[in-house]
Parts: sequence; C-alpha cells; structure tokens
Amino acid sequence: MNDVVTSPTRLRRGRALAGWAYAAPAAVIVAVLFLAPLVLVVIMSLHKWPLLGPARPNFPANYTKIPDDPLFLDSVLFTLKYTVIITILLSAVALGLALLVQDRRRGVGFFRTAFFLPGAVGFAAAALLFYGLLNNDFGPFGFLGVNWIGSPNMALTSTILLVLWRFAGFDMLILLTGLQAIPIEVYEAARADGANRWQIFTRITLPLLRPTLALMLILSITGSLLAFDQFFIFTNGGPDNSTVSMVMVVYRNAFFRFDLGGAAALSVVLLVVLVALNAVQMRILRGATTR
Amino acid sequence: MKYYSPRLALAVIFLFPLIWSGWASVQGPDGFTLANYRSITGFGEGLATYVGNSLALSGMTVVGTLVVATLGGYAFARFHFPGKNLLFLAALAILMVPYATILIPLYVLLDYVGLQNSLLGVSLVFVMFQLPFALYMMRNSFEAIPREIEESALVDGAGSFRVLLSVLLPAVRPGLVTVGLFAFLASWNDFFAPLILLSDGASFPLPVAVVSMTQRTFGAIDYGVLQAGVMVMAVPCLVLFLVLQRYYVRGFMSGALRG
Amino acid sequence: MLRRLPALAAAALLATSMAACGSAAQEPSAAGPTTITMWTRAATQAQSERLVEAYNKSHTNQVKLTVIPTDNYQPRIAAAAGAKQLPDVFAADVIFVPNYTSQGLFADISDRVAALPFKDALAPSHMKLGTYEGRQYTLPHTLDLSVWFWNKDLYEKAGLDPEKGPATLKEFAEQATTVQEKLGADGKVHGTFFGGNCGGCYVFTFWPSVWAAGGTVMNAEGTESTVAASPMTDVFSIYRGLYDNGVTGPTTKEEQGPTWTGFFPKGEIGVMPMPSTTLGSMPADMKIGVAPIAGPDGGESTFVGGDSVGISSTSQNVDAAWEFLAWTVSDEAQVEIMAKNKDVVARTDLADNKYSAEDPRVVLINSLVGKGQTPYALKFGETFNDPQGPWLRFAREALFGDASKLPELNETLNQSLTQ
Repeated sequence: MNDVVTSPTRLRRGRALAGWAYAAPAAVIVAVLFLAPLVLVVIMSLHKWPLLGPARPNFPANYTKIPDDPLFLDSVLFTLKYTVIITILLSAVALGLALLVQDRRRGVGFFRTAFFLPGAVGFAAAALLFYGLLNNDFGPFGFLGVNWIGSPNMALTSTILLVLWRFAGFDMLILLTGLQAIPIEVYEAARADGANRWQIFTRITLPLLRPTLALMLILSITGSLLAFDQFFIFTNGGPDNSTVSMVMVVYRNAFFRFDLGGAAALSVVLLVVLVALNAVQMRILRGATTR
Repeated sequence: MKYYSPRLALAVIFLFPLIWSGWASVQGPDGFTLANYRSITGFGEGLATYVGNSLALSGMTVVGTLVVATLGGYAFARFHFPGKNLLFLAALAILMVPYATILIPLYVLLDYVGLQNSLLGVSLVFVMFQLPFALYMMRNSFEAIPREIEESALVDGAGSFRVLLSVLLPAVRPGLVTVGLFAFLASWNDFFAPLILLSDGASFPLPVAVVSMTQRTFGAIDYGVLQAGVMVMAVPCLVLFLVLQRYYVRGFMSGALRG
Repeated sequence: MLRRLPALAAAALLATSMAACGSAAQEPSAAGPTTITMWTRAATQAQSERLVEAYNKSHTNQVKLTVIPTDNYQPRIAAAAGAKQLPDVFAADVIFVPNYTSQGLFADISDRVAALPFKDALAPSHMKLGTYEGRQYTLPHTLDLSVWFWNKDLYEKAGLDPEKGPATLKEFAEQATTVQEKLGADGKVHGTFFGGNCGGCYVFTFWPSVWAAGGTVMNAEGTESTVAASPMTDVFSIYRGLYDNGVTGPTTKEEQGPTWTGFFPKGEIGVMPMPSTTLGSMPADMKIGVAPIAGPDGGESTFVGGDSVGISSTSQNVDAAWEFLAWTVSDEAQVEIMAKNKDVVARTDLADNKYSAEDPRVVLINSLVGKGQTPYALKFGETFNDPQGPWLRFAREALFGDASKLPELNETLNQSLTQ
C-alpha cells in the first residue's frame, strides 16, 4: 500500500467497504449467473436427471460411465491434437503478422486493420461465410477441385484456416502491445553490440515478449479445448466423426440424448481439468512476468 | 516495394473472404441482384424487428458490461478488500466453462428470477460472459494510470466515486471503448444463447433469424441468402470496428492487455 | 445471493409447478379468448403457418407460432423441457415422438382423440408412433413421404421412355446409369443423387426399398437392428455400384443433408428419391414423374415421415390447445389448406379429394400413406439421425468403405438402441 494518507485502521476499513461496494455488481453477476448455475451443474452431475419429472441421485454413475463412451475418448484425442496444432500455428502467424506491422510507417495502419478486420465478424457468421466460401458449387475455389471437407485431414485443415483467418489479427494485436512495450534503447544497444536481426529476435524480442506470449497461449489453449462453434457449424463433426470435439460430445449428450446428468458430469470434469491447467499456466506466466 | 508487397499480399488474403461474401450476396443467376436482401427483409417478423432486437440486446449488454466492469476494474485496481483475489479468479473461471452446458441451468435460473424469455435476461447472460475480458482489461487500464493523478484529488477531499467519474474515466477511455466494442461484437453475433433462452420468434435477434432464413426451404441451403445474412450481421461490426479503431488500438496499447 | 442457492436447487429438483406457469402464453382470463403458443421447426414452417393463419382468422382463440431452425429444434425442446417452459403445443419430427413421449413431454390426449369421428382414418403410422404404453399423445401434423422423382426431359434426351419410371430398384439403377452415360459427359447432369453423409437421408430414402422387398430394419420394439442382412445389404450394393460407376453427383459422399434435395429442381439429376413435400415447390415448367420406391425386384413402400403435434405436458391451456389440434385434422383444414397446397393429407379417408384429383401424382402419394412405414424406436434420433450416431458410420462403411465390417458395426447399432 502506497496510499498518501498514512492509513489509520478506520480509513482502511472505509476503503475496504468502498472496494466491496464497487465490486458488488460484478460479484452479484458472478454469483447469480455463473456460480449458481455451476452449482446446479454439479448437482445435476450427481443425479439421473430427466427432462421432466423428479431427479434420482445416482452418484457416481455419471462419472464412472465416462470412460465407456468411445466417442468421448476419441474426442479427447482429437481436441488435444487440434489444440496443439492451432496454438502453434496461431502463435506463429500472429507473431509473424505483428512483426510485419510493428514499425510506424506509411500505410501500416491499413495493414493492421486488414489483418484485424476478420475479428469483427462473429464466429458463427464467419463459419457460415466459410461454409459458402469453401463450397465447390458456390464458392470461388471450385476450380481447384479440392474437396474441402471431404476427408478428415481436409476438414481439419479447412477449420484451421477459418480459425486462423478469424483470430490471427486479434492475437497479433495482443502481441503488438508486447512488442511496443520493449524499449527502443534495448534494440539500439544490441545493434551497437553488433547483433544481427536473428540474434535480436531470439535473444531480445522473444524473451521480452514472454509474458505477452504466455497470455496469448492461455487464451488460445482454453479456447481450443472448449472448441465448439467451428466444428458444430462448419464440419458438423464429420466426416466419419473425425472432427468431434469434447464440447460437442457434451452437447450431444445433453441435447440429443437428453442425458443431462451425464453431460453435466462431463462438463465438471472438463472444468476441473481446465482450472488445473490454467493454474499451472498462470504460475508459469507469473514467473515470466516477475523475471 | 520490398516492404509493401508481402504485406499487401497478406492483406488481400485476409480481406478476400469478406469481399467475396459481399459480392456473392448480390449475385443472382442473371448477374447483379438485390433479391437476396429483399428475401431477408420480408422474412418472418421483418428485418427491422430483428435488427431492433439485436440493437436492444447489444445496447443493454454494452451498457451493463461497461458499468459493471468499470466499477469492478476500479475496485480491483485501487482497493484492497477481503475476497478480492477469489472474486477475480472466479470471474476468470467463466472462460473455462463449456458454454453449452451452463445454458440449461441458466434457463432455469432466469425463470426463477422472472427474466425468462426476455432480452434483458439474455443481455445479463452476455454481460456475465464478457466479465473475464472486461474486468481484466479495466483493472489493467486503471492500474496503468499513475496514482498521483487521483491522490491530489483525494487530498482535496473528493470522494472516491467523484474521483472515478471526473478524473479517472477520461483517462481510461481507450479501455472503455475496447471493452464496449467487444461486448457489442459478442452480443451482436451470438447465436446460441438467444436461441435457447428466448421462446418468442418476435424477440429473436439477427443471428437466429438469419440461420432460420437460410434453412427455410428444406433441402436446399440458399447460399446467396446466407451470404446476404452474413453481410447484414457483419457490416455494422466492420463499420464500428473502423470508426473506433483509434481508441481500441490505444486501449490495447495502453498496456491494458499486458500480463 | 448465495442464500438462494439451496432454494434454487430445490426448485429444479422438485420440478415445482411454479416454473410451469411462466410459459410464454398469456394467462387465460375468465371470459376473453385464449392465446396458445406453438413451436414448429423451419422444415415444416410453410404448412404450420398456413394452418395457424387460417385458424386465427376463423376462431376467437388465437395461436402464436414460433419457428425454430430445424437443426436446433431438438436442443431448443430439450432446454425448454428442462426448465418446464414448453409451449402449449409443439410439433416434432414423427420419429422423435416415441422418445419425447417416453420422456413425458406430451400430455395424454387418448380420450379426446377417441371422441373424434374420423379417428380410425388418421395416418396410421403417425398414430402408432404417438402411442406409448397404450395411451395416445400426438396427432399427425404434416406428412412427408419418400418417393422416386424422375426428370422427364432428361429421360427423353437420354432415349428413355419419359412416361415410364422405374418399377424396381434394379430398373432405377439402369435408368440412372443410362442418363449418366448419355448426358453426363460435361459434368452438369448426373444419373442420381443421395445424401451420403446424412444418416436421416439414408433412412428416409433407402429403407423403403427394404420394406418393399418384404424385409425389416429393426424388430418391432425398436431394440434390435436387422440391417446387416439381406435385403438391406442388397439395397446397399446396388447404390454402391451406382457410386462406384460415377453415376451419382460429385458431392454425394460429402452431402450432410442440408442440400440433398437441391440438385433435382435444378434439372441436374435424372432420377432420385425425394421428399413428397417438395413436389409443390418444384419449378412450374419442370416435367416430373413420381413413382413409389421399390425393392431390388419390385414391390412398393415409402417412409412416412413428417411431423406429429401434441399438447405439452406443462401446458395450462389444454382445452384451447385441443380445440386447435382437433381443427387441424378436420375436413376443412385438411382439404382446403393441406390438399389445396399439394400437401399429403393426414387422413386416409380424404386421400381422394377435389384438389388431389387434379394431379394423379398427388393421388399416388396419398395412396402410399397406408402402405408405408414409420420405424419405431425409443432411441431413434441418437442412433440413426445424429451424425455422431452409429448408423451413419454403418451406412458409409457399406457404401464407401469395407462392407465386411457390417456385422461387427451392427452391434454398435444394437447397443445404441438398447442403452
């Protein structure tokens, strides 16, 4: 605390109360619209929960049957694969774009805008756009004769193109803030020492960018592990269940099989895994910031 | 030229899908046509209703997010109170919940508080989903302001709320614009929450209506109408994006997104 | 706020009736007219809208219709049921109805149905699927039958008799192959088409050939699959031959369902199975022949699809809702609204009416209602329609993959049907 006022207890208590008052709206929303439904999800996961009519406790059946679902096991592997691929590609593309537009020059604003603009299109709209764009009868790429969603690999590739197009600009902006925060003097000093561009990139830019990169990684990994829209709208899990993500299985269990208890149990497991994963990542991020 | 050509090529790649979609939306079998837009205009309750619903929904979401995140960000940046870290982590955890699963409990809950089938209820849900980003952004925006600025005002006897309104708000404007813009984009474009939480066709927002339109004729997606719908959804966002660019780029730059 | 949590959980657990009254319907006032709410899916929007509009014009009670995107209809119903917020009346794809009734979503209307003078003439397979443990829960709403459409112009150009459609699945294959060989050179016209990545499409278009050959796809209880045997395997191998010989359109294998009926109206397909509801929306100048779906060596059958409609079990306006439902199957509504727009009537006693007489194809389609089938299974949707369900994998293996895996994959169907 570096408040100017030498803080007597009463004043500090007043400040704490004021702090609570300011945080109250956020607290109410988190409690009512997030924590309460979450508690209900946990309660549901402990029951056989029909659409209508009374629920019956059946713990731990909803949890123990999870490994028996082959679709879910495949979806775990697929989601992990997708997360690794998209995180690496997204970081690389976003970093490349950020490096391309970091200097203040004539026209650089236009390029930033061009790369960032797809981020303004909603994800659902973007998926619908690509649905038409990559349709060989309607879209402009029919002459290539590429079957965009015909094989498992092409379906994944097309989805990755969609996600890169939609999100690379946003991540570029995040990285740009990190790049601009590196004092120009550091570069000048390195250059004076005779470092070449590659050395400057690996020894100065990357290490100093670490906190920003870590933040981007957290967002990307969390988002990819919960991937739903892109597969639901764009590939519908196909062909042959090759692009079924974990959340799609949750969705299927809840809304098509009406197994609300089972879907809730899957969500709880997913949430626990994500919280744990992010706790680890936060720790790494925090370590990186204080360095 | 060596500087510009690779960047220009990339810019073309990134802009191409948008340009193509715009072009495809006005193409008919015999060249240029507005038929796709006309068929959207006349659909269901009429385009004006859906745009109106979307505007109301997004407006409430933006205002709600700004108010909650500004107050909350201020509290997290400048005050110490018990439970502060816990609350912040709980808000961040919102990012980690599968969207689809929490909707049924939310449905039950909105009904319980009397907000079922209302745009206000859906907008509150949107505010909740915006909180992780918005709180994080606003906290960092406030933290980036040197404390000396407000301390002189506090010494002069102004209350913390007055300081917030008159001294701090102008300073965090880029952050506010960024948070508001993203709240708008998310609420304007979201399809799933309104679909599940609203039960009256007359209160559907644009995305639900557009998806319905394109599925109208069984067995034949009308790709032209689909792209017209994509454009109707995307153009307002693109315009806002361009108009507000100055602010949100500064919002990001002012360190708001630094870890 | 946290104090509310236990109450909240209790509210959900005990399914208190409090939630139920919050339905979007206006509270019925003592004297005034009642407004009931109705949901339908976009696929059958046209029929529902026509019925509601005519009803609202002629009745004091009013119906408020909400159309929901087809692909999201089931999730919407699930969420609404979970929150006890179902509309007064909702239509549903007839094959989902057994599942919905077993979940208790519909109110029992057995006694009201029994009082209808024409109750025995109501479309039999819709009525059968709306029966659960001896009680009746739904009425037929729309009927959508699978039939073969052939393009007479293309037949003529290919040197086939334009007035003679296929009478067996083998003839179907021969005629499709002729169209492909004679007209398919430039890649614009194709012999036939089917939804190769669409479980519901396979069920709707392939199964009638099995029934026409006297075969079955499941046992009567819908708990055991019989599709790994003849005649289903014969039907698969005929279609597989068409695919292997390039007689099917180029996107056949990828077609997920949304556009599978879109190619025929463009004049690109010689002969293919189509939903009967599309007949009314075909281009006016297109000459189309309609034939019943046949087995490999003859016979005729159809998949009686479409929607059923019922009163939700949470409705507070059951009397008003029934007044509307009963009216939709009345002579007036069936003839002057459904038949007039070339839709299949929901009553066998009205199959010959003043509008159907204008078009012999409509008479043929109407006549199939009594001959066709609608398969019954509690787990139908998640087994056969769901793209992640086991049937799609099974059918794709049969058509594009390794047919020797079918007996093994049949076990996954059985598991899904019985779990």
